[in-house]
Amino acid sequence: MNSSRPSAQHLAGIARRIRRRDLDMIYEAGAGHLGSELSCTDLLVALYFGELQVDPDEPSAPTRDRFVLSKGHAAGVLYVTLAEAGFIDPAELATFMQPGSRLNGHPDRKLVPGVETNTGPLGHGLPVAVGMAKAAKLRGESWRTWVLTGDGELQEGSNWEAAMAAAHFGLDNLALVIDHNRFQQGAAVADTNDLAPLADKWRAFGWHLHELDGHDFDAIFAGFDVARSTRGRPTCLIAHTNKGEGISFTRDRVAWHHRVPTAEEYAQARAELTEVPS
Amino acid sequence: MEIVNRPHVQNFIRWAADKPEVVVLSADLTNSCEVGAWRDTYPERFFSLGMAEQNMLGFAGGLAREGFEPFVHTFAVFIYRRPYDQLAMSIAYPNLPVRLMAFLPGITTPGGVTHQAIEDVAVMRATPNMTVLETGDATEVESVLDVAHAVDGPVYVRFLRGRVPRLFPRTEPMVLGQARVLHEGDDVTVLTAGITTEEALRAVPALADAGVHATHLHVSTHKPFDDPTVLAALRRAKRGVVTLENHTIVGGLGTAVAELMAEHAVGTPLVRLGLRDTYAHGASQAYLMREYGLDAMALVRAVERLTDTDTGLAEDDLAKVRVEEVHSLAKAEAL
Ligand SMILES: Cc1ncc(C[n+]2csc(CCOP(=O)(O)OP(=O)(O)O)c2C)c(N)n1
Ligand SMILES: [Mg+2]
Repeated sequence: MNSSRPSAQHLAGIARRIRRRDLDMIYEAGAGHLGSELSCTDLLVALYFGELQVDPDEPSAPTRDRFVLSKGHAAGVLYVTLAEAGFIDPAELATFMQPGSRLNGHPDRKLVPGVETNTGPLGHGLPVAVGMAKAAKLRGESWRTWVLTGDGELQEGSNWEAAMAAAHFGLDNLALVIDHNRFQQGAAVADTNDLAPLADKWRAFGWHLHELDGHDFDAIFAGFDVARSTRGRPTCLIAHTNKGEGISFTRDRVAWHHRVPTAEEYAQARAELTEVPS
Repeated sequence: MEIVNRPHVQNFIRWAADKPEVVVLSADLTNSCEVGAWRDTYPERFFSLGMAEQNMLGFAGGLAREGFEPFVHTFAVFIYRRPYDQLAMSIAYPNLPVRLMAFLPGITTPGGVTHQAIEDVAVMRATPNMTVLETGDATEVESVLDVAHAVDGPVYVRFLRGRVPRLFPRTEPMVLGQARVLHEGDDVTVLTAGITTEEALRAVPALADAGVHATHLHVSTHKPFDDPTVLAALRRAKRGVVTLENHTIVGGLGTAVAELMAEHAVGTPLVRLGLRDTYAHGASQAYLMREYGLDAMALVRAVERLTDTDTGLAEDDLAKVRVEEVHSLAKAEAL
């Protein structure tokens, strides 16, 4: 148990602020992946504000936890989260995808502090994370590696090659969080190239499997604790989420994968995210 | 200049109507590659593979072995990088009629370095049996289907989408292995392909007004690269040759021209404009073209250096850039 974790209510406030800033940023830039970003916002908040041992003042500290956002198209919400966590200046968010900006459409490790590896082409994150986790084992170090993938992303074969390797190496210092929002870019995952039964697949590949509600901070932390306490094998956390979570008309609508709101839609979305829930 | 909105969409549907062997494969970029309406028209000939490009190219090889003609639609970077082994051994080596429709080539993507196919022409040129094409306008987007279809083997096509200019009349379709002569002059020869042709069209007439006369060729077949028109134009250039490509200068158009010049002892300087053996930053196409020297002004400066002239030309003297769509709705399919 990590007793120093902030309360779910506190984190919900941070998450709402991040969603709002992300929406603003996408609207201003006229580009971004709104649905994909809203779906993993709570997971990122839980990681950065309640789990990861990382230090914005020393983003390359050798003993830091490693976090890899494999669904690199959600770069926007990663940048907002990194700004909220102190890795980059919040003012810089205004440069998202603009000429000369460090904040490209996909995260670049050479430009942005806190980004461990470039992602964007789906299926890159987990293999790199397996390499990092194995390195920690080789050196006898106690830092952990976390990786967040999409669900459609798991159609890439590289993930399953990495899954075998991680289990083979017994990497209990590695945890995979799957943003299981049931949609990919053009359609539902089930209608594109079905992954079901997803949990059984991970079990069969030798991982410890735990499912949770990806918008419930207590459930997310319980899952993180499962990952920390599992010995001898890596843990896969299937986070049940909603694509576009937080804005009524983007939720579970595949069209919002990377749509940019019109002025009216923006105003409505802004209003929804500003209201403080009772 | 006429701007055609999504020329591939209806054209491809019409074209495929009497070709039951034509099938489309997509890796969850169906609308982004303008085949959403195609899928709805021919659902039994459309296959959604999800993000699984290695499987998709192997699958295409299998279908092609059994008599189908797969048109694989995804972003350029995803079509050749990850599944290159499948591409080489399951498609190119057996010389199968698989059409690789490669969208957002080079720096035409807003996605940044991970999404920029900057060495695809080099890799595809180096792949035996592969025919390598690049579309430069709406007429070529429309007519490349016939060109690819007629090739007895695999074809890689750098494809344009969205709002595409019509630079060449409909009555002058793309022809395999034939460059287009867009301007004539004896001082220098300029070769362009894809999106860089529009840039040269802005620069070459301005150069002529300033007294520097260029022959300008538009190349749509990167391989085979044995067009007598190209060789003649290279020989004609008194002061030198300039290539301008949306690609690294290693292995693409500039390299193909260098090879041809060396093989035929064309002894004149060659300037290769393009990405100078570097990955590119992420930003808008217009910005990147200026930043990396792929635009009309970069071409003017290169011609000035080659000919030892100061034309005095500045950005304002060049034909205007067509106005890029920036409205958010137009960007909905930016990736
Ligand atoms: C190899 C590869 N193919 C295609 C794409 C284009 N693309 C970007 S996001 C996406 C869908 C991702 O779906 P999912 O993994 O479920 O992520 P979500 O946005 O739902 O979180 C696609 C097809 C890509 N980035 N990489
Ligand atoms: Mg998904």
